[in-house]
Amino acid sequence: MSRSLNTIRSSWDWWLIAIILSLMVLGVVNLYSAAYNPERTFLFDIKTLYGKQIMWMGIGIFLGIVISLIDSEFIRKLTPAAFIVVSILLIIVLFSRPINGARSWLGFGSYGIQPSEFAKVTTGLMLAYLIGQGRIKQIAKKTVYQVLGLVFITMLLILAQNDTGTFLIFTAFFFVMYREGITFDPIILYFLNNLLGLRYKSTWVGVHFIPVLFGIIFFSIITLYFAESKHSFSFLPAIDVPGWAVLASVVTLLGIILALVINQFASLRAKRKMLSIVLISYLGSILLIGAVSFSYLKVLQSHQKVRIDLWLGKIEDKDGEDYNRNRALAAVGSGGFAGNGYQQAVLASPQSNHVPESETDFIFCVYAEEWGFVGSLILVALFTFLLVRLIIIAERQRSRFARVYAYSVAMIIFYHFAINIGMNVGLLPVIGIPLPFFSYGGSAMMAFSVMFFILLKLDSQRKDVLAT
Amino acid sequence: MNLESRRIVFLALFILVSIIYSVRLFYMQVMDDRWMSRAAEVSQKRIDVKPPRGILLDRFGNKVVANKTYYNLMFVEDKIENLDTAALAKLLDLEYHQIEERFEEIRRSLDRKTRSKKTSNDTVVNDYRSYMPYAFERELTADEISSIASELIYFPGFYEEPVSMRDYPYPNGGNIFGYLNEIRPHELEKDRYFYKMGDFIGRAGLERYYENELRGQKGTKFILTSARGKAVDNFAGGKLDTLAVQGPPLHLGLDIELQAYGEELMKNKLGCIVAIEPETGEILAMVSSPSYDPNLLVGSRNIRRNYVELNNDSLKPMFPRPLQAEYPPGSIFKLVQALAGLQEGVITENSGFPCTKSMVGCHNHPTANTVQQAIQYSCNPYFYYETRRLIQQGKDKNTFKDAEIGVRIWEKYMHSFGLGIQLETDIYGLRPGVIPNVEFYDRWYGKHRWAWSTIRSNSIGQGEVKVTPLQMANLAAIMANGGWYFTPHFVKSIGEDGPKPAYLVKHKSLVDEKYYPIIQEGMRRVVNEAGGTARRARIENIVVAGKTGTAQNPHGEDHSVFIAYAPFDNPKIAISVFIENAGFGGTWAAPIASLMIEKYLTREVKDVAKEKRILEANLIIQ
Repeated sequence: MSRSLNTIRSSWDWWLIAIILSLMVLGVVNLYSAAYNPERTFLFDIKTLYGKQIMWMGIGIFLGIVISLIDSEFIRKLTPAAFIVVSILLIIVLFSRPINGARSWLGFGSYGIQPSEFAKVTTGLMLAYLIGQGRIKQIAKKTVYQVLGLVFITMLLILAQNDTGTFLIFTAFFFVMYREGITFDPIILYFLNNLLGLRYKSTWVGVHFIPVLFGIIFFSIITLYFAESKHSFSFLPAIDVPGWAVLASVVTLLGIILALVINQFASLRAKRKMLSIVLISYLGSILLIGAVSFSYLKVLQSHQKVRIDLWLGKIEDKDGEDYNRNRALAAVGSGGFAGNGYQQAVLASPQSNHVPESETDFIFCVYAEEWGFVGSLILVALFTFLLVRLIIIAERQRSRFARVYAYSVAMIIFYHFAINIGMNVGLLPVIGIPLPFFSYGGSAMMAFSVMFFILLKLDSQRKDVLAT
Repeated sequence: MNLESRRIVFLALFILVSIIYSVRLFYMQVMDDRWMSRAAEVSQKRIDVKPPRGILLDRFGNKVVANKTYYNLMFVEDKIENLDTAALAKLLDLEYHQIEERFEEIRRSLDRKTRSKKTSNDTVVNDYRSYMPYAFERELTADEISSIASELIYFPGFYEEPVSMRDYPYPNGGNIFGYLNEIRPHELEKDRYFYKMGDFIGRAGLERYYENELRGQKGTKFILTSARGKAVDNFAGGKLDTLAVQGPPLHLGLDIELQAYGEELMKNKLGCIVAIEPETGEILAMVSSPSYDPNLLVGSRNIRRNYVELNNDSLKPMFPRPLQAEYPPGSIFKLVQALAGLQEGVITENSGFPCTKSMVGCHNHPTANTVQQAIQYSCNPYFYYETRRLIQQGKDKNTFKDAEIGVRIWEKYMHSFGLGIQLETDIYGLRPGVIPNVEFYDRWYGKHRWAWSTIRSNSIGQGEVKVTPLQMANLAAIMANGGWYFTPHFVKSIGEDGPKPAYLVKHKSLVDEKYYPIIQEGMRRVVNEAGGTARRARIENIVVAGKTGTAQNPHGEDHSVFIAYAPFDNPKIAISVFIENAGFGGTWAAPIASLMIEKYLTREVKDVAKEKRILEANLIIQ
């Protein structure tokens, strides 16, 4: 601890600090509007949500500063202890009284904390700890099992709380594993080699299982959206082509074009591999379209179809099941280009309260309605910038621990950002997940602050460790 | 495997999502107006502010139809705390169980059938909202609310709300003013912009005719409402709001004191009095007897209580006789027969006819040697002869064809006196009366199967001829004016804008004005000379001119008819009085007319004996 102030200044990532501070300030400013209490207009009034949020932020920063006084190596060593403490809390919370159907709150007097918010940090740390143990690049099989066990058990505990949103967040860690080369290839190979009698050493699908899986989910949703629709084309008069056929044709066309392009331009060595990837992707896509369309059109019962259609926005039930989303979309959409102006929200204002949960899950509505497209774009850009910055920071780490942790932070923030904004703009179903630094919530605020301070600390000491 | 390059997957994912969201936000917020209108649909609410109705003033500026504040006892269920049902029942003078029943009734009244989008079944949806105000009791008077209001502090969730309703300072003129009642669905369909369910609309009389003027201009307030329907703020700072404007006062030609006096005189009599100012056509009074106090039909509470009773009354107080009762005019019809005869040249001022009682009954009187005398004595045979000449002018050798030509000419004259046509008076429901024409008789008897002899009763106002009391009064006005009239009307000025243009058009009869003085002199003699039939209509210092009638009534006692105007040389009032089943016109109708004239012209009645006789008379045959 004998470094001069100068080196501290240069070793901290000021870009990250700047982005986070601006998000914090924007968040508080927005919350002041979203939870505005005309009887208590003082920003720091502890009886208002904005006063409390500032308090949580203060506590978070204080905790962060304490953490940043700890040496990064010591942080690493503390990880298992922290993880165990939070895990115990996760178990204790299962015996609490459910609030809104979820047992996620541990009450201390009139305040409560959500251990699941802190579990995101500790799981990220623990993941980093486990993966960072090995000195060699190849991850030991034992570590893989440990890692998978860690994530699955934590997810199970969260699921037991009946907190679907947070449960989903934990799938972020699979992306982190993907970056570290943990594959699901052995499982795929097991099926292929043992059951089908093939002899593959590795498969592309297995290696890139996580992104492929997300691709499949994305593609399935698109298929669902189009499966039932009818399309007519001028060159095919009097025939209504079903949507799934159109989709299959488009995929076929794309496959042929891709194959032709590869055939023409790729090097001889890469050609075979790339063509087989295209072929497998194409066959997989067609299979997926067939399976999804068939089950959607033939297997599902009508009420199940209605649920899916509601989620996809194909049918509207604007004052019924779709109430929240409809009001949220109306609020976001009515913001226009420049917005209604600060504290001028009509739908999302706390007085009119047309948008439910406008201080927490739907806080983006308030922001989007008041600041319009310009403001929304700035917010999306800020988060994108933050995410890109996190990847840059992650990739410059010499210690595996720090890198895995940085990736965990990036993916958790990405999940929060993507799911929250996604549901606010109607691209994703309503899943209760806070928008970092915007949604009101003490545990999330503290957890995110601590999460970033740990990362900043690890990053500031990145040159002190030997590369692994 | 180069794991570091996998960061590309992450960066691509982040940037792809950001681009998708940015595009989506651009589409939602900038391109697509759908959400903008959806937001307005969700949050904006237009509140209509209705002004109190325009008031009605009589010709001397007395308020005859005004507004009074009543109170609705409102409640908001969510704000009710610890309701002491027993105490509330006591306060409102209800039974204990009625309180719960009333809440239930209000809730049920807001049931609405709707079709479910999902299942497309009809389901009943209830629009009752526990956070919205509803009226527990409606239309309480200031007296009623004053005892309740002081106790309301013990009943949180209840409060009073003022509503403007009609008030009639005089208990008269019910058939003129009409009344207001809750709007009916088909009326609502016609003007969805102005009205909404539960609004009151003019149902009869002037309230109905001048509905568009009286209702005023609706004001609009745009507010932003919260999800619970509560007003949050003015929309756009109230810039789009418009103020409600009360309808202009209607200045009536009516003299409310004369009207009241007329109703007083007509107590215990069936019939009408219509008085008109001849030089303007303004109706001074229009008595329909029996009548009703318009205050009986103020608000739905009163209407529920009194309407059925009034409607079922065998004497039909709600039937506006002056407009809708078509009576045989009797001898007053001789005036127009004489005028038409003079104009057609079939008689002259000095034509005389014998009183041949074998042709038609008559009373004993000196022979009428002039038209004036014929009117003075009301000689029936004289007008048989005269009308025969009018109808059978000898323009065709065939008697039947000749009668047809004659009736066609005669019909035109009658119409020019406002008879047999619908006068465009500013009140609905006016009947045209009957002036039978060629087609009428052809249908009845067959073409060329009738002549004057067939239809001769019309000569003296019997037979098929029918006239409403308003037309009789208008006839009196034509006599007073010497040949012209303005369509009788009530409203002499809408606000300061004057009457409707139709009431400024002078209608002239087809008879030259030079013939009128002859008949006017006859009318003067009816009242003022020996042998006149209406000596009871004389007034000290005022020369009245009039004509009696005794309309034969096959169902019972004859109707007593009298029309008059006064003063003779500068007529200020023209009047018709029609008393059902009261016998000879001079006996009852004439003195009533004279009392009305005296009251109007001198503001007091000196002939107390005459007044007493009328007031004490009960002419309703039970």
